[in-house]
Formats: sequence, C-alpha cells, structure tokens
Amino acid sequence: MTMNIRRIVTWIARAGLGHVRTARTILERLTPKNRRVVLWVSGIASLSCLVNGWFTGNYLAYGAGAAGLSYFALYLGGWSPPRKRREHELIATPQPAFAVHEEPPAEVEDLVEQMLKQGRYSLLLRPELIGNLTPDQVQRAWDLFEDRMSLVPEGELVVGRVGNALDEDESLDDEDLVSPGTVVRVEHFYLDRYPVTNRQFQAFVAAGGYEQMGIWDPEIWPGVLDFVDSTGVPGPRFWKHGRHASGEDHLPVVGISWYEAAAYARWVGKRLPTDPEWEKAGSWPVQLSATARPQRKYPWGESMDRGRCNLWGSGPNAPVAVADYAAGVSVGGVHQLVGNVWEWTTGNFGAWSYPSRDLILPVAMKSIRGGAFDTYYDNQATCQFQSGEDPVARKHNIGFRCAVSVCDLSLPGRVVASADFASDPSTRVAAEKVYA
Amino acid sequence: MIRDTTIPLDSYRLAQYAVQVPCYICEGGNTFDAELCRHCFAPMALAHQANSQKVRPQMIAAIGPSGVGKTVYLGMLIDMLSRQVHRMQLLARGAFSITLQQMTTAALSRCKFPTKTPNEPDRWNWVHCQVRTPKQKRPIELIMPDMAGEAIIEEVDHPHTYHVIRALLSKCSGIMVMIDAMKLYEGTLDQDFFTMKLLSYLIELDNDPKHGWGQRPVALVFSKADQCEECFADPTAYAKSHTTGLWQHCQERFRDHAFFASGVAGACAFRAVKRDGHVRVPLRIEPRGIIEPFEWLVSRLKAN
Repeated sequence: MTMNIRRIVTWIARAGLGHVRTARTILERLTPKNRRVVLWVSGIASLSCLVNGWFTGNYLAYGAGAAGLSYFALYLGGWSPPRKRREHELIATPQPAFAVHEEPPAEVEDLVEQMLKQGRYSLLLRPELIGNLTPDQVQRAWDLFEDRMSLVPEGELVVGRVGNALDEDESLDDEDLVSPGTVVRVEHFYLDRYPVTNRQFQAFVAAGGYEQMGIWDPEIWPGVLDFVDSTGVPGPRFWKHGRHASGEDHLPVVGISWYEAAAYARWVGKRLPTDPEWEKAGSWPVQLSATARPQRKYPWGESMDRGRCNLWGSGPNAPVAVADYAAGVSVGGVHQLVGNVWEWTTGNFGAWSYPSRDLILPVAMKSIRGGAFDTYYDNQATCQFQSGEDPVARKHNIGFRCAVSVCDLSLPGRVVASADFASDPSTRVAAEKVYA
Repeated sequence: MIRDTTIPLDSYRLAQYAVQVPCYICEGGNTFDAELCRHCFAPMALAHQANSQKVRPQMIAAIGPSGVGKTVYLGMLIDMLSRQVHRMQLLARGAFSITLQQMTTAALSRCKFPTKTPNEPDRWNWVHCQVRTPKQKRPIELIMPDMAGEAIIEEVDHPHTYHVIRALLSKCSGIMVMIDAMKLYEGTLDQDFFTMKLLSYLIELDNDPKHGWGQRPVALVFSKADQCEECFADPTAYAKSHTTGLWQHCQERFRDHAFFASGVAGACAFRAVKRDGHVRVPLRIEPRGIIEPFEWLVSRLKAN
C-alpha cells in the first residue's frame, strides 16, 4: 500500500511537470486495478490543481493541473506518448514492429484462464502442468480438448502407394512404374478437427508469439524478423497491422511459413502431424488381415464428390470458413482434410510419396497435404497425394492443423489405451521413432 | 485369290478437284479433300467450317519464345473455360480442337508438363471454338493455334521462313505475348529483347494507322508468375521494373495493351530423365490468372 502511495505521488509529480513518458512507463508496470486507481486519483488531483490555480492565480499549479488533466484525457482516449527507443532497439527493429501484447496475468489462476481463452488447453493437459490446475480447470481443459480434437486410433497404413489415379494412362514412362508403398505404424494421436483459424492465430500474435524465441526452431531465428504482414508488423503475410481482415475470424489462417506453423503448434502445446498421421486420419485404414488394409482415397469414400470439399470449380475460388463443407468430414470427425487450404506437416517432401521419386528439389521442401480451394485436379486432392513447398514460403493457400500424441498428455481415466501406452517404454520408443 | 471390285466413276469428284478451296489462314488454293493446306500446313477443316457456318472466325495467337508456356497456357485456358462456364463458355468445334486440351490435361494431372511443341507446322494443334460471355448475345468464333516457340523465333529473325506464322499474325484480331516471369526475376534479359523483337515484327507486319497492330489489342502475359508473387500483385509495375525496354516500347507503339500475370503450377522441381536430362515438373496444379488475359482480349474484340 505504501509502495502504491509512493508511486501515486511520484506519478502525479511527474505528470504535473509534463514527464508523460516516464509516467506512462510507470503506469505500464502497475497492475490493471492499481492503474485505474492511479489514473482516477491523478485526474482528480489535476482538476483540483487547475481549479486552485485558477482561483488563487498560482500559475504553476494551474499549468501542472492543465498538463495533468490533458494527459489524463488523452490517455483515456487511447493516446500513448512516443516511446524512447534504446540503441539496440533501433538496430534490431527499424519499424514499430510488434503488436500491442496482452498483459501477463498476475496470478496462476488468471494465467490458466488466459491459456484456456487462447486455446492452449493442450499445454495445460501436459504432465508437467496439469498438477497446477484445479479439478474444475482440468475438466474445462479436457472439455475443450475433446471438442476441438479427434482421436485417431493406432494402426498400420500404406504410405506412398501409387494408385491408378496418377498412372492410369497407358503411355507410362519407365519412371512411372507402380509403387507398392511402405507400411507404417502410427500410434494413437489426436488431430485438430478443423484447420487453425485466423482468430486462433491472432491470439498467438497478440501474445507476442513472434518474440518468444524458445518456441521457434533455432535455424530460423534470424528469419523470424522477416515474417511480417503487409504493413511490416509480425503476423501472417496477408494481414494488416498485426490483425486479420474483419469477417475472416473463422477462415483458415494462410500466408504462414512452415516455421510459423510449427511455432504456433508449440505455443499451444501441440505439434504438426507427420505425413503418415495426416494420411491415416483421412484414409482411415481398416486392418482386415496382415496384408489387407482398405484405405479410402477421400475422407468420405473412394470417389470424388465436389459437393463435399472446396476445390477449384466447387467453391468460391477462395478459402471458406473451417466449418463449411461439413459433409466432407472424415470417419473420425476431422473436417476439411481435403480442400480449402493445403496443410503443412512435419515431414520432408520426398520422404514418402510417388511424385517425389527421382526429383531434384531447388530447396529442401516440407510436405503439404490435402489440396486447396484452387487445386485443379481431383487426383491431387486425395488423402494419398503429397506436394511440397519451401518451408519459408508464405502462400495464399497453405494453412495447417495441429496434432498431439496421446503419450504427451496426462489424461488419467480418459483414454484406456493411453495409460498402457504411456507406461510401456518399448511402445514409447517405437512412437518416438515414428514421430521422428 | 483375286477379287474383282467395281469402282463407280464419281465424275462429281473431278468437278470438286477442279475448284480450289482457299486455306483460311494463307488463302492458298487446295483440293477439296486436303487435310492440311499444302502451302502453310494449317488444317483445312478451318476453311470448311467457316464455309459451312457462313461465319468468319476471328483469330487470336499466343506467341513467345520456346519453353515460355504457350501450350500449357492454351490447354489450361480451354480446359478451364470448358469446365467452368459462369464467366465465359467455350465450346470446341471439330475433334482436332480437343487434342490440345486432352494432351495438356493428361500431362498436368500426372504432374508433368506437356511435351515440347514440334517445329513442323503440320504437327501443331489448332483450336477452333465458340466463345460466349454472359453479357453477349451472339457467340464469337475463334481460332487459336499452338505454335512452336522456335518456329516463331525463326520467323521473326528470318521473315518468310514460316509462311503460316506470317499469314496468321497478319490476320489476328488480338494477340497474347507470353513472357517468362521467372527468367526476368532471375535477371535474364533475353525475354525482354525477344518480346521487343516480336512486337517490332508485328508493327512491321501491319503498320496501318487504323487497323494495324498499333491499334489491335495486345495482352502481355507473364507466365510462371506463381514462382514470384510480386508479379501477381501488380503485373504492370513488375513490367515497369523488370522489362523497362518492353514497357517503353508498348507505351509508344501499342495503343491498346495490358500486362497480366498467370501461373499454373503451385511449385516446381526437376526430374532426372534418362533421355532429356533434367526436366521441370510441377508438384501440383493451381491455375491463377489464366482466364483474365483472354477475357480482356475477347472484350476488346467485341469493342472492335
């Protein structure tokens, strides 16, 4: 309390003398509650000074009151004084680069609430953090998790098989021979039901995600400064002033590089899916015997139905809201795996799929899956088709969705298999190999 | 065993042979049953269709150096307009008009670019089609050939080498000049020089102040623009900054011109092929800016 009074006195004195910049700095250090008190007290004090100066003819008091009151009015109006820049800031950030960040919460409870609001429920359910949560908070995090993520069961699938979609032409060259593919085992994991939206990514930008170097791959640290929007502020390429266009809350975020997608995924306590995981969620293979694994070509079946996905000619030739085309949902309840926007995965292009064979890539590419609103051919929007893109490219039609391994979560009693899975070291090692 | 057959004397055939059918492109005389013009190798079906429909089709050409993407552009354009008809509808006339579309689609859907167009004019693909726009009452009949880039270069450098190119370009109502945006981006000036030579050739071909090439619509299309996004953002600004000479040339000599950007592949790589060395392959097909230049040209044709 004494400390607060001292701060109030200091602030009034400096505000009265016109040191608004210093006052602003001090204000920013206060908690929101204390800041409100200080502002109102200083406002009243300034008014008193002004009135007192007017009637007594004390111009010093009059001037200080007027200055304080002016600042008070400007502050309420949203004005902030130009901040003095330190030398290193002038070198590192030539533009007023970073968006206004949210205030860090003072209490653990507030922090948890903020994380839930930001969609970081998965992070809260990690074994390292879940002990700090109340049962109610765990329940809420779990409810959000179940609502937004879909469990994909473990099992085997064939990745990289060349189907007749690509090679039905009789005039095949030598290099177009049919490939049997590779059998890959995928462990239990959760996948986002929808691609990450502009609104969800906005929380990451507002929270200063582009400044938290810990969540970025070290090799891209020098390049993060280059990940700016059309106005030079950190954010997806097509945003302005660190914000997406109004009315596009529920559209998938695009114009983000692979590194930005990976950083967001880490920030929310998830990761990007691997290629086999992504393909398994869509093709939903069923292991009938040791060799028979029927896999769907599209999430809804074997034949293209353009009414179920946003591809070239079947939609507005632009991204649509992530909940649209609900008829194209996969067996596991994952939406828009095919169409709308391509999705980054963790895999390298060329690791699994047919078109990459014997390819010489101009740069090491990351894998993208699922096709987009402007994908022209049906056979390039299947669950099996893989394309590639430069990991620093920020294209208009590439977004992402996140995944999380069951073994990375602490969900006692929720998933029967997860307990066994997490406790079995051999399984965990196998999973790590697959995910690596 | 010898089998006797009776062949009736079709005297009317002799009469038909006596009448020369002029080629629609070069107007050279041909017999009535000729498949290709013996002078310029253009399909005679164009002349027969024009005669039977009593409509004289207009012509639009896509020209540019070898490897710039003329075949992909034309094939993709025809396929897109055939599949999505709300902006503009295209109906092919004659089986030969579908070959280009079929060949391009077959290659691109398998993540390959179509094979290089041969230099011999008798092996070129021609498209005769009917184009209808929503605001238009009567459809436009159009002829669009897919010519080899090397043949075009040869004709520009040595006029009268390819009679068909000269005849076609002198009759075209509008033209699409393809320019490789990727090469410009890399700093190569060949594209700039070649396009200026091509435009100079057009002006020399027909310098009429009222109906010459200076007055006809010219769409300058940056192909492969998907590889450099700034070209898509503002093609005119891109032209001004990367092809200054060409931009000036157009400002001075062509009253009705516009710059466009187009792209077909979302990303490209190279494949090692035994016979051809490294061949460029598309990793996915995402057409952008394909219809716009054609739409603009057709709108100018109507105005003309």
